[in-house]
Amino acid sequence: MTYNYDAIVIGSGHAGCEAALALARMNNKTMLLTLNLDSIAFLACNPSIGGTAKGHLVCEIDALGGQMGINADKTTIQRRMLNSSKGPAVWSLRAQADKVMYHTEMKKVLENTPNLFVKQGEAKDILIKNKKVVGVKTVQGDTYNAKAVVVCTGVYLKSDVIIGKVRQNIGPNGFAPANHLTKSLKKLGLTIRRFKTGTPVRVHSDSINYSVLDEQCGEDNIQTFSFMTKTPPKNAIKCYLTYTNEQTHKLILDNLDKAPMYNGEIVSEGPRYCPSIESKVVRFSDKNQHQLFLEPEALSTKEVYVQGFSTSMPTYLQHEMVKSVKGLENAFIMRDAYAIEYDCIDSLQLYPTLQYKELDGLYFAGQVNGTSGYEEAAAQGLIAGINASQYINNKEPFVLKRNEAYIGVLIDDLTTKGTNEPYRMMTSRAEYRLQLRQDNADLRLTERGYEIGLVTKQRYNVFKKRVNLINKLKAELKTLCSPKQVADMFNEKGETLPKVGITLKDILKRSNIFIEDLVKYFPEYSKYPYNVLKEIETEVKYEGYLAKQNIQIEQSKKQETTNLPDGLDYSKIKGLRIEAQQKLNNVKPLTLGQASRISGVSPADIAVLTVYLKTLKD
Amino acid sequence: MEENKTIAAISTPVGVGGISVIRVSGKEAKNIASKVFSAFNVKEFNIEPRKMYLGDFKAEQFNEKCMMVWFKAPNSYTGEDVVEFQCHGGTVIAKGVLDALINAGAVLAGPGEFTKRAFINGKLTLDEAEGVMDMINAESESEVRAGYNLLKGNLSKEINEVQNTLTKLIAKIEVVLDYPEHDYEEQTAEETETSLEEIRSKLNNILKTSNTGAIVKNGSKVLILGKPNVGKSSLLNAILNYDRAIVTSIKGTTRDILEETYTYKGVKFILTDTAGLRDAEDEVEKIGVEKAKEAINYADVILLVLDSTNQLEPEDKEILDFIDDKNTIVVKNKTDLGNTLDLSNFHFKHIVEVSALNKRGVEELKQTIYNMVIDENIINSNLMVTNMRHVEAIKKALNYVDDCVNGINLGVTLDVVSIDLKNLWLALGEITGNNNNEEIINEIFSGFCVGK
Repeated sequence: MTYNYDAIVIGSGHAGCEAALALARMNNKTMLLTLNLDSIAFLACNPSIGGTAKGHLVCEIDALGGQMGINADKTTIQRRMLNSSKGPAVWSLRAQADKVMYHTEMKKVLENTPNLFVKQGEAKDILIKNKKVVGVKTVQGDTYNAKAVVVCTGVYLKSDVIIGKVRQNIGPNGFAPANHLTKSLKKLGLTIRRFKTGTPVRVHSDSINYSVLDEQCGEDNIQTFSFMTKTPPKNAIKCYLTYTNEQTHKLILDNLDKAPMYNGEIVSEGPRYCPSIESKVVRFSDKNQHQLFLEPEALSTKEVYVQGFSTSMPTYLQHEMVKSVKGLENAFIMRDAYAIEYDCIDSLQLYPTLQYKELDGLYFAGQVNGTSGYEEAAAQGLIAGINASQYINNKEPFVLKRNEAYIGVLIDDLTTKGTNEPYRMMTSRAEYRLQLRQDNADLRLTERGYEIGLVTKQRYNVFKKRVNLINKLKAELKTLCSPKQVADMFNEKGETLPKVGITLKDILKRSNIFIEDLVKYFPEYSKYPYNVLKEIETEVKYEGYLAKQNIQIEQSKKQETTNLPDGLDYSKIKGLRIEAQQKLNNVKPLTLGQASRISGVSPADIAVLTVYLKTLKD
Repeated sequence: MEENKTIAAISTPVGVGGISVIRVSGKEAKNIASKVFSAFNVKEFNIEPRKMYLGDFKAEQFNEKCMMVWFKAPNSYTGEDVVEFQCHGGTVIAKGVLDALINAGAVLAGPGEFTKRAFINGKLTLDEAEGVMDMINAESESEVRAGYNLLKGNLSKEINEVQNTLTKLIAKIEVVLDYPEHDYEEQTAEETETSLEEIRSKLNNILKTSNTGAIVKNGSKVLILGKPNVGKSSLLNAILNYDRAIVTSIKGTTRDILEETYTYKGVKFILTDTAGLRDAEDEVEKIGVEKAKEAINYADVILLVLDSTNQLEPEDKEILDFIDDKNTIVVKNKTDLGNTLDLSNFHFKHIVEVSALNKRGVEELKQTIYNMVIDENIINSNLMVTNMRHVEAIKKALNYVDDCVNGINLGVTLDVVSIDLKNLWLALGEITGNNNNEEIINEIFSGFCVGK
């Protein structure tokens, strides 16, 4: 039996959901094919969304018309703004999400989206005709025709779960693995690699002695992920903090021969930034304790996630290790920690649209591209979905630049530098991070999302209203105040009084005066929403630094717009170091700017390329 | 594509010399050579690399008996096949040989093209290429030495050290931002400022060498100043040790600026003689006077020439008004005719008595000039910045140090200050070519235990 669709999305994790929703919302008849309907938007590891740089990604997804932000806000049970003592560029929202609700809410959205057909089944073959994707064949024997396919298989491809000596061919949380698709991908020319990640134990809440632990409460009055959320979620739970100790470390070190990471059982690449507890103890032997956070998984369950306690030790050792920790002496482990190995592709084989370079209409997004994290996956899913739609409808590719969004940084890194370990987004990866804040994600991206038809009229109106208010407030800040008018405020803040008139903007520039002070002494400004006031405060206070980054962005444009000729054989340019020749031939960068970011291509290599390009022109 | 073409050029200076070298580089070098050159006792151009052959070169208008050597790729200067001909000196012969090579299929090489090819083919790195260019263009021994030090990477070593300090500093700031929930000890503003001050003084020390460095590279400008007829031109001739300026006793003979160079202790000096500074009535001479006033601004050393047989006249004093004592050497000339000039009422730091006519005191004068512009410690050390690109990068880096410190003092949070720290790091990377952002992230991973 055959069926006709515009697009098929394989996998219903965080990438798959965004890809399918983007496609359907952009008026493409879309099928979301998933191994198990009960695994839709499953939070397989930590029950939280956001965090540093990840919070930024969620706000950007939201600004473009994606779903993750709305879904996270709807299911948040505790939230905090990380880095709030630092500058606004690195303020990062992190929310504990109700794992059960997150899944059911997302499933509901998918089911109620016009043009979207959610179907349980396992993809076996990607069908090709004339170097173009034409559909997907399932293990069940059905053929689905489509002009575009987005592969979002997460960690399910030939996944093995490893605990001590036990290796099982199953997916996360015991879900079924996807054992057939890898073969088809190999046949299409994709390089298959094997990555590893892990998850910690879940313990029963009633078996934890909370009385000896430090509690961590949520914060109110902070930004939400979605610009559409009207009522911020409430803080319904508490998290707790505890530490490993020397006894825990001794247990691990004495039993390293039983750790699959160290006895040769696992050889695949794991993430440096999210190491197992055994890796932490071995690599940082000078530290005599490591932090552990206890996070409830959902309101409807007693399962508690032990953040920081990822391991693949045998279960009896996991039990000993947990017992050694303060507050967990009597803890009952409901789910064991495990490591998981899976097939993924090499993201260098993708264009910045996330389309496979060798086949029109075939897109990849999420952990299958070698990333880690729900937010990274969702961001890619959204971009892959948008580009699949653009491709189906013969429209221009949609690519965000590094100076436009963390999403741009993420995808440029993946398709330019590639990654040899599961890739995590970090604020240090964004060179223009002062521009790329959570609070201005809508100002950066909503217009773009509206242009391509993903942002709804309703969202666009909300956005326009905010822009108008921002502009209005900006104009009003030029108002000149007499020294008398500001005397009270300046006296209270210990600032020296100006001799002549001063504008509100200049007042706000003072490092000791904040928008709250301004509103206090000029109550007429309280009519503005808090997010508008804060937006302006940041722009005024960091005007100098923002201008400086803008200059850098301008300067980098020259390299970004210097195109590299098609089919250039870099191995012929002997001045390039061999590593650079190989990397350049592999990545085939489109511009000199992209070439300069490839790891293994040094500035000296770029100098060689620049001179070479000149000789081509002469 | 140009790189596929075989290029040729006369590699020795144009003019009459003992021998001329004509270099051919490219895939066709050997083939082209075989069309115009037949080596004695070698059949069918069956030659070996790196061996010198004597033979006949057939140019259009003449035959030339000359030497030929073939460097097989990649073992040559450019990394390509290179053939070099050593023929008799003289413009006509070298030109004839080059023309014949071009008729045989070579194209004329553009300026610096051999070095450019060497660079593209990986025979030289950017730093090294700069070092080589400096050495080739060197006009003095000290300049060669500076180029050699650059080639050896002495500057890169210093800069790398500063960059490493910065990498650690940035990583320590960044790790707390990306892993805020970890209990790392936070980098404080005070610690950051202390590190920055250390970096500043290090960079300033490197930059200090650039004054001497610039003089080594570009030569030191020495300006001869004085009222008409005090013997400025004679002094110039005495220093140069030959007659360049027309010397007469008629005032105002030297109407334009004369520029000549000499080398002293390995350093190049550019000596400028000016028209006598006075209010000229003659139009031509007036221009000379203006130029001299302008030259004062650019001079490293000013030689104020006074007549030792007279007392200071109003004209002398007028000159004294617009020169700076700091870089001025008073030259009491004509000591062979007497020494009645009394300068005890003035506080000149440097006074040298000279007889330009008898060349007496000239050596002492040269040494005084040398001492004024050259720091012996710097010129003899193995680190000296002579390259303008490097000087600019260090100045840029120092500006970023200022920006960082200003930010910290204004209470800007370190995550924002780190924008300028990264700029500083990148500016230094312009010198060494090390500016890949990935390094900071690697430092975060290797230096800290991160993870959730």
